[in-house]
Amino acid sequence: MDFDSPEEKEFPGLYASEAADARSKKSKEESDFSEDHEPSKKDLLIGRRKDKKEKGKDRGYAALEGESSPEEELDTKSPSKSKKSKTFKFTSSKSKEKREKSRDKSERDSKHADDEPGPSSKAKDREKDKDKERDEPKKKDKEDKRKDKEKDKKSDKKDKKDKKSKQLSQQQDETSAAEEVLALGYPVFGVSVSLATERSRCHDGVDIPLVVRDCIDFLQDHLKCEQIYKIEPIKTRLMHYKRLYNNREHDSAVDELNLPTACSLLKLFLRELPEPLLTTDLVARFEEVASHPKVTTQQAELQQLLDQLPKCNRTVLAWVLLHFDAVIQQERHNKLNAQSLAMLLSPTLQMSHRLMVALLIHCNNLFPDVKLIKYVPPLTSASPKLPDTPEDIQTELRKQDSLLNQIHSEMNAGFITKKREEQLWEVQRIITQLKRKLRTFEKKQEKSVEELDNSSTAPSTIVNEDTTDSKAEVTPVPSTSNSICTEEPKTEEPSSKDLPIDFSIDPATGFILLPKSNPHRDNLLRLQIEYDELMDWQNELKARIVAERNEVYRLKQLYEQQSMNSQMAALAAGSQAPPESDYERIIEHYTRENALLEHKKNMLGMELKEERRACIALQVELRLQQF
Amino acid sequence: MSKKPTAGPALHKVIMVGSGGVGKSALTLQFMYDEFVEDYEPTKADSYRKKVVLDGEEVQIDILDTAGQEDYAAIRDNYFRSGEGFLCVFSITDDESFQATQEFREQILRVKNDESIPFLLVGNKCDLNDKRKVPLSECQLRAQQWAVPYVETSAKTRENVDKVFFDLMREIRSRKTEDSKATSGRAKDRCKKRRLKCTLL
Repeated sequence: MDFDSPEEKEFPGLYASEAADARSKKSKEESDFSEDHEPSKKDLLIGRRKDKKEKGKDRGYAALEGESSPEEELDTKSPSKSKKSKTFKFTSSKSKEKREKSRDKSERDSKHADDEPGPSSKAKDREKDKDKERDEPKKKDKEDKRKDKEKDKKSDKKDKKDKKSKQLSQQQDETSAAEEVLALGYPVFGVSVSLATERSRCHDGVDIPLVVRDCIDFLQDHLKCEQIYKIEPIKTRLMHYKRLYNNREHDSAVDELNLPTACSLLKLFLRELPEPLLTTDLVARFEEVASHPKVTTQQAELQQLLDQLPKCNRTVLAWVLLHFDAVIQQERHNKLNAQSLAMLLSPTLQMSHRLMVALLIHCNNLFPDVKLIKYVPPLTSASPKLPDTPEDIQTELRKQDSLLNQIHSEMNAGFITKKREEQLWEVQRIITQLKRKLRTFEKKQEKSVEELDNSSTAPSTIVNEDTTDSKAEVTPVPSTSNSICTEEPKTEEPSSKDLPIDFSIDPATGFILLPKSNPHRDNLLRLQIEYDELMDWQNELKARIVAERNEVYRLKQLYEQQSMNSQMAALAAGSQAPPESDYERIIEHYTRENALLEHKKNMLGMELKEERRACIALQVELRLQQF
Repeated sequence: MSKKPTAGPALHKVIMVGSGGVGKSALTLQFMYDEFVEDYEPTKADSYRKKVVLDGEEVQIDILDTAGQEDYAAIRDNYFRSGEGFLCVFSITDDESFQATQEFREQILRVKNDESIPFLLVGNKCDLNDKRKVPLSECQLRAQQWAVPYVETSAKTRENVDKVFFDLMREIRSRKTEDSKATSGRAKDRCKKRRLKCTLL
């Protein structure tokens, strides 16, 4: 089972650093979901082996450089430096390594026990599969775990010890839920912005990591608080939240952030980004622009650089900066201005004080497209009830779909837990409910449209207020069938008869013209013109119907003639008729084609009608101008 | 699986599989809401939950109605994995849908890796007996080969609709009790093994 070659065993760091480095880079660069990840057994074993070493090595330099600032942390990613730290490892932290080794061993043993090909009962096989699935994310999780430990070390050793002993006990009891939590892969912290965004999506179309969104949302509500960005949270609490977000288990209803935690969580996320938010390539140029003396050109230049950033980086930067700007807007309350805030936060953003101040000055102009909108997460089954209006349902449906897609892609990539599966069913259930609700709405609407249709075919009640138009337009509702001819446009002419005597009649058109002072003048005129136009239309259609009828009559006659002829022809060529099946096929083909054409014709007819109505409306406007 | 006794009623997860248009959704909707939908609208995936009384015990049933079309195969596996019992539906008026059940069966077995997973072969549209294309004997033969029950249903007349769901839930339930016995036994075994290893170290 264990394929370690001897020399690697003796020198645990021999190949590890490069391999691990390449791997970690890869895991950062690549999207999780680009392909279906089916872990092969060999992969798993190799992964496990590397993990062991990687952990040993990382522990070493983590212990040494735990206090390093973010910039230096970045540097340690180069292979040469990590090698250097390795030499220290053997001299400085032997005892620690021993502990680590024994831990690894016990871990390995417990896995051995599981992987042992026992009596091949099916249930056991299933369990094995589960272990496999769990191991796969573990690989990727290692990195994150290390960082967790690093942070813990920084904070207080006692906590770390606690955690360690906890981990040990967890390994002994693999079925415990806590182990599952640790075994999850695909962290959100410590990966590139694009990966973090993909893994921790906001489902309302704003593409920033959920953790950033939640923190900013919370802090935007507490801008006036004097503690903002000043107080450090309890470390265990911070780590708790980090774990929740890494495992996508955060539930805003249950785990409400508090001010120091929100500040630090946001900072932690930014600090752990593998490269600066402004990207390694561009950060120097940003700095250059920031040192520019001319403020006027500065903004344009910053804008130009920002456009070169990856979209996800730009969005996160926009949100963070606009939030910071909101913070300093409340200086009166929180005593933070651009200078002091930049002092606090520019190291976290991995930029100079000057650059951050410059960005803060311009941020409102730089990101006119970004608005800080509070996130409303997709509903869960715990939510009281579904939205009521079709629009809200549509919005919610989009969110749920986005969530569902994420769950599916993550599951396809191997991120499978009991909890995740439950969530999958739940989201699916909510989507089904939403869709049903939407359908009932649609049905209701259809019904009302049908009713209107029915009423329109009845000649007496054609008058229908077109509520979408501001003008009091009176138009016949077009029936969906081809029986347009039955429509009998009728306006509110009778009302004009009851009008006071004060009117004249236009000699050319016969329209009733009220004096200019009368408020109903325009309205009446419009209605009359419309009536006129509609009557024209009706006459035109009637004429067309007569023409069609004539055509039908003509064709009928033609048909009778033809059929007589064809009968004779068929008699003549009867023996050459193709086999029956061919006919059937041809008939089928033509019925299908005809149905299609019929459908197209109906659609065109509808469109034509709509166009015509628009034409009439315009015509009315035109003629109205004449009076 | 269900080691800890959960607070709520027991939950059984049922998955509907089968070719497109055989009546998976119709069966589901008939069971859920006593309604029969005449018009056909392809399903991508839908999920329902209902509280029912199974042999005097209140339980919850989760029904996942899947797409019959191959286009959604990628997401189907995710659902299959979490399903506890399967209703494999075909239309007795459509031989191809019957042939397709073989493939669905294989897919399920591949994902679940368990020959004795609760499973029912369901021949739907039995109200259209005059248009029957799949002889009853053939259906029964296949069910026999798989060692699963065969039931004919009609989503339109509601014939046997409740029966298939309840029969499947019973199978799931008995399967679960079996499982929990087995796992508790094996867990003890494993504990012993591990302890032995530890002392060796």
